[in-house]
Amino acid sequence: MGSRAIGVFGMLGLMLNVGGRSCAVLLVLLGVSPAATAQDVPALPRLALEGFPDTARSAVSRAYKEASARPDDASAVGTLGRTLHAWEQWESAHQAYSRAAALAPAAFEWPYLDAIVLQRLARPQEAVPRLDRALAISADFLPARVRLAEALLDSGDYRRSRQAFEALLGEASAEPAAHVGLGRIAAAEGRHEDAVGHLEKAVALFPELGAAHYALARSYRALGRTAEAERALAAHTRYGARWPRIEDPLLLAVTSLRDDPRAILQRGVALAEAGDVEAAIAAHEAALAADPTLAQAHVNLINLYGREQNWSKAEVHYRAALDAQLELATAHYDYGVILGRQERWMEAEEAYRKALAVNPLHTSALNNLGQLLERRREFDAAATEYRKAVDAQPTFRLARFNLGRMLLVLDRTQEAIEEFARLEQPRDAESPRYLFGLATAHVRAGRREEGLKWALEAKQLATEFGQDELAAAIDREIARLR
Amino acid sequence: MRRPAVVLAAVCLLCLPGSAGSLRGAGTTGLASAAPGFRLQAQGAAPLFVESAAAAGLTFTHVNGATGEYAMPEIMGAGVALFDYDNDGDLDVYLVQGGAMPGTPFDVARQPSSRLFRNDLTISTDGRRTLKFTDVTDAAGVGARVYGMGAAVGDYDNDGDLDLFLTSFGPEILFRNNGDGTFTDATKEAGVSDDLWSTSAAFADVDRDGDLDLFVANYLDFTVADNKRCHDSLGARDYCSPRAYRPVPDRFYRNEGQGRFTNATDASGISRAYGAGLGVSTGDYNGDGWIDLYVANDANPNQLWINARDGTFRDEGLLSGAAVNAAGNPEGSMGIASGDVDADGDEDLFVTNIIGETFVLYENDGSATFDDARARWGLAAPTAAFTGFGTDWFDYDNDGWLDLFITNGAVNVIEAQRGQPAPFRMRNQLFRNTGSRRFVDTTAAAGAAFEQARIGRGAAFGDLDDDGDIDVVVTTNNGPVLLLLNQQSGAHWLQVRLSQEPANRFGVGARVGIERTGRPTLWRRVRTDGSYLSASDGRVHFGLGSSPALDAVVVEWPDGARERWRKVLADRLVTLRRGTGGK
Repeated sequence: MGSRAIGVFGMLGLMLNVGGRSCAVLLVLLGVSPAATAQDVPALPRLALEGFPDTARSAVSRAYKEASARPDDASAVGTLGRTLHAWEQWESAHQAYSRAAALAPAAFEWPYLDAIVLQRLARPQEAVPRLDRALAISADFLPARVRLAEALLDSGDYRRSRQAFEALLGEASAEPAAHVGLGRIAAAEGRHEDAVGHLEKAVALFPELGAAHYALARSYRALGRTAEAERALAAHTRYGARWPRIEDPLLLAVTSLRDDPRAILQRGVALAEAGDVEAAIAAHEAALAADPTLAQAHVNLINLYGREQNWSKAEVHYRAALDAQLELATAHYDYGVILGRQERWMEAEEAYRKALAVNPLHTSALNNLGQLLERRREFDAAATEYRKAVDAQPTFRLARFNLGRMLLVLDRTQEAIEEFARLEQPRDAESPRYLFGLATAHVRAGRREEGLKWALEAKQLATEFGQDELAAAIDREIARLR
Repeated sequence: MRRPAVVLAAVCLLCLPGSAGSLRGAGTTGLASAAPGFRLQAQGAAPLFVESAAAAGLTFTHVNGATGEYAMPEIMGAGVALFDYDNDGDLDVYLVQGGAMPGTPFDVARQPSSRLFRNDLTISTDGRRTLKFTDVTDAAGVGARVYGMGAAVGDYDNDGDLDLFLTSFGPEILFRNNGDGTFTDATKEAGVSDDLWSTSAAFADVDRDGDLDLFVANYLDFTVADNKRCHDSLGARDYCSPRAYRPVPDRFYRNEGQGRFTNATDASGISRAYGAGLGVSTGDYNGDGWIDLYVANDANPNQLWINARDGTFRDEGLLSGAAVNAAGNPEGSMGIASGDVDADGDEDLFVTNIIGETFVLYENDGSATFDDARARWGLAAPTAAFTGFGTDWFDYDNDGWLDLFITNGAVNVIEAQRGQPAPFRMRNQLFRNTGSRRFVDTTAAAGAAFEQARIGRGAAFGDLDDDGDIDVVVTTNNGPVLLLLNQQSGAHWLQVRLSQEPANRFGVGARVGIERTGRPTLWRRVRTDGSYLSASDGRVHFGLGSSPALDAVVVEWPDGARERWRKVLADRLVTLRRGTGGK
């Protein structure tokens, strides 16, 4: 049976027949005896279930009872492992998987899942033999092959890791990861030209692969290619830990075991982060239906309904969050944003002030309050709020831009230039308007040439980032200046 | 404490320079006088360390003020400073206290306070040592009733005594040492406080103008009123990840002399990058003679602030390889050890992280390019199951190689301790440097104090009993302080205290080297920072192994000047005064 045909729960076939060979032959090849002796079999984990919250206890105790009643049944013990894995009880899951693997030496599932847990526990050396064993049973299961290559790399076994990654180069979904692995090995061995070759292929295949950008930056730097290193680093900062997804039905089956309100809420948060607001709202509402005390869901729903412009629903959840006395700064702030979008300025201001009473360092509330005050032409008060925002969060570029822009309006040109100048780096999609602000300030200060220089740079960046409308506007200003 | 003259005279009669190292010698010609004394003798199978806090009168219990609301500051613990506040030659101990959380309904007057313990070590004529501490907090005036976090030590006003900076969840306090056993709160006049949640701090002369500047690491925008409700994977209430809050920027204060600082955070470029700062260390990581700064951030990339020699810094953490792990992901960094672990002349970094990440050794190639060498050095696997805080390189067995101590304690409920009181307990760890770019875990031989799991947080290092080996003071969260007295004996050693006039009198930032024929020069830097929330002894310590022979002691002063002292004898503390050495 090929690896892609492995069913989520259907590993039994693998236990009995692998690639047409009999189980007995496989076991001989693996060098394991058909039945492990009692002393080889790790004990069941001991769980202090009385310390578990109700929902978790209910979910885990069923599997625990089954495994305790049939401690020599690999399926029951493995199911306990999967349950514990789903609830992120890593050590206990590892113990259960280890026992299941010892009870059923020909099963793929248990050593594989055990290896995943061990990787989570930062124990790659222990994961390697389990992945070796799993792949001896089902050599083609792609997620296991990727994990083995990575575990070998993390263990410092570059020779075997390189072989494992090279073998993945033909697999479309694993190829970016394979190039990252090969690039990291080459870099570790001081072969930075080779490293760059692999890593550039990785980002060509998956441009958001943050780890590849980071490794690229390091190798570019080692080769003295400083500008490219800086660009790669900026990409790494932008994409962070994004990684190409490799479908893993076995792992998906584990995570799907949880259907408790908190798990549903987490899925809702993930959906919101992915931009699917409608589905995120549905998940949050489902979580609340299952557990009306889940106050975090109320707080999140203020924002989510706000995004959908469903003001009444947002208000309902704002009131519920206030009743729960939870995350009040976030609740007040999000509600303030919603009121602002309805142009209910006075109420919005009140909401921001309430947020700041709870957390005086809430920089978004400070910035928005500054904008409201500026709108009322209370410029000094607005400047104070903007300054508080940038003092508490110097990297909050929008607040600094607002401050610079307002100072420019007030003809405090030199102060405006100082603020805009601090927005010069890093160069990203926000930069064109910041640089244009700097250009304008210089022109107002009578430094036309300096202003022209920044305007041209702003225009170029706007074009690079596809901001055609802004580029055209800047172009018009440049023409006027000339 | 002031040692009686009779003790000095009696012990000096026994001085045998070049002997097996069981005695401390008198000062070498041209050097200031040394502190004499015997070293404690370890038994055959004796533990490497013995916990002696209560026996020595170092009685202190940290109070975290937990109310069941899982406020973040409760779980962070507090630090400790080892410094000779009374200039009597031995190390005193300042222990930082938490107390009730600001904003909670507690009687402020009944808050416990941070405590200063004077070291009243006595050495009898037969060499026996009696280590005794006396609580002098009230007389000294350093019993701050703030929710304290950490301490930094340095002579910021160049008057020859060590001052104390206290970080807190709330305002910081700068205690100026009056030189008479008392301190004055000089925070306002010095201009070094704000209300951000500060953690670790470091004094260093980064602009080489002769006085000590101050870097303060800040953590999160947490407020009691905005305490978020977080849960663990089972749905039980637990402490939040730092990601639940926003990091607040660190601060850099430039010393302008006359006891005044200027907030140079923006002007120096320090405000350009920051994370949830927990640890800070100083060192010259690119070997250009100017002090750089390394900041450990919790769940954000660490910063390596390279000194641009013009009053500004640039963050080269990411490009240097010392900001994130090899896969490019930030880790939950807490404590820092900085030093030349591989004896190749540059300073390497070790950073403690959260459970499941492993602790990292960033090996320096001398140009501030670092390699994540945790697995190669044997530090990854043994640290995977721990959350580490206070740490430092220190040569506990005096063999010349920097070993490693880590105090551990979780910040989230430990699976196996669920349902128990304080389910965050972990063992401390001790690693020995084999000298072949590899550590071995020697925790099992370290003694009973290492068998018991606690919630370790701060750690400070210094020779508290003046016996020629480095001891450790460890703080625990909501628990008692530990005094781990080193029982090493048999190997030779040298401790060096620097002295210069008129400014930076303790030579903070200087590099001290021991030259030995046929062996690499041992380099140590004069500093008090590193670890977690703590300040260690600013004197440098060298283990010399089986031979007391050394060719010279070299000092590279903070301004780049270099001096060499020959005929320095081992097994003693020497004070090297600037201008008394040769070329």
